[in-house]
Amino acid sequence: MVDVFAAGAATLAEASMEMPSIEDFLPPEILFEGTPFAINRIIFVRILATIIMLLVLGITAARAKLIPGRWQSAVEWVIDFVKNDIVYQVMGEVRGKRYVPMITTVFLTLLVFNLCGEIPGMNIAASATITLPLVFAMWCFVQYWIAGIREKGLGHFLRDELFPKGVPWPIYILLSPIQLLELLVIRPFSLTIRLFANMVSGHLILALCLSATQYFLIDVVNKAMMPFGVVTFAAGLFMYLFEVLVACLQAYIFAILTTAYINMSYPEID
Amino acid sequence: MVTMAAEGVDLFIPKVYDIVWSLIILLIVAAFFYKFFLPKFQSIFDERAAKIEGGIAKAEQAQKDADEAKKKYQAQLSTARVEASKIRDDARAEASHIIADARSRAETEAAQITANAQRSLESQQQKAMVSLKGEVGTLATSLAEKILGSELKDSAVQSDMIDQMISDMEQGEDK
Repeated sequence: MVDVFAAGAATLAEASMEMPSIEDFLPPEILFEGTPFAINRIIFVRILATIIMLLVLGITAARAKLIPGRWQSAVEWVIDFVKNDIVYQVMGEVRGKRYVPMITTVFLTLLVFNLCGEIPGMNIAASATITLPLVFAMWCFVQYWIAGIREKGLGHFLRDELFPKGVPWPIYILLSPIQLLELLVIRPFSLTIRLFANMVSGHLILALCLSATQYFLIDVVNKAMMPFGVVTFAAGLFMYLFEVLVACLQAYIFAILTTAYINMSYPEID
Repeated sequence: MVTMAAEGVDLFIPKVYDIVWSLIILLIVAAFFYKFFLPKFQSIFDERAAKIEGGIAKAEQAQKDADEAKKKYQAQLSTARVEASKIRDDARAEASHIIADARSRAETEAAQITANAQRSLESQQQKAMVSLKGEVGTLATSLAEKILGSELKDSAVQSDMIDQMISDMEQGEDK
């Protein structure tokens, strides 16, 4: 996908057009270079986003009143949305209660981090390295293993997962390795890659549209190309709004899949 | 393009500092949501629910009080109504009693008056009869004298006839 865009853009631009590239996701370290605490642009954005989120939500919570104002109502709506429409809807209230804080953390953090890609000045999602989605996915991974072992015991849990009931035994030769792979690799990595790839591609497309607009409207020598800049600007505007949607949607998908994976570790009939 | 492909793989290789910062931030954020943000809002939600429930309970109590007062009032009203109708019935009975009394008294009085009238009428009649008897005798004698005086020359016949007439009259009177 990256190559396609790079190639497509290369044919469009003869000379000086600035192309977004995957370099954007591998920025140079700017602080504490070479140490485990090195900070590059994306990590800087991530730290900044964290501080802003904690400040805004922290002040909201500290000043929370019995009769909420508009902002507090909005925050409460989000809390209710995560609790009722994500956690309780998937796993029910009895099981779900324990996981509400986790899913709230996952949803709100990823939402804020994803939206950083659309905030001018930040311009890159704080979740746009493989590691951050991976860390969240590993949290999910640990939680569904713990849930399975606690609710069924390790043996029972593995037997239910690897040898699902109602399947003729020769199928197990094929099915069990796939199930094991699913349990160990596919679930966490699909969560990771889905989020990461969405953030990467979103950034590339948006940056491409906007840099093309810059090139065709301002930098280009041949002014006959300017109408094309209008088109790329319109596309950029559309992609911007689309990426806002994707940022919200990916946070939602990550949260609901995490909930679903944990729920699958529970016995089927409760 | 070749260098780009190499870098593309790099995208998927986690860097140590990235892992460190991802974990630190996850821990901070999780601690914030677990220990502060959600408990704080939960307590707000609980308090709100308690307030609302308290309000509902208070309203229910007020409703119950009002219902009780209304019931009491209605009970009082219905006893008052029963009493009133009883008083009315009594009054009506007394009135009819009084009327009946008055009527019977009037009837006796009327009967008495009628009887008195009857008696005085009878005595008057008797008195009239007595006086009539005396007057009829003298009237008859004088009448007879006038009629017979010219014809009866013979005194003997005259006295016979008079005797005869008087005895006849007496006989008729006795009958």
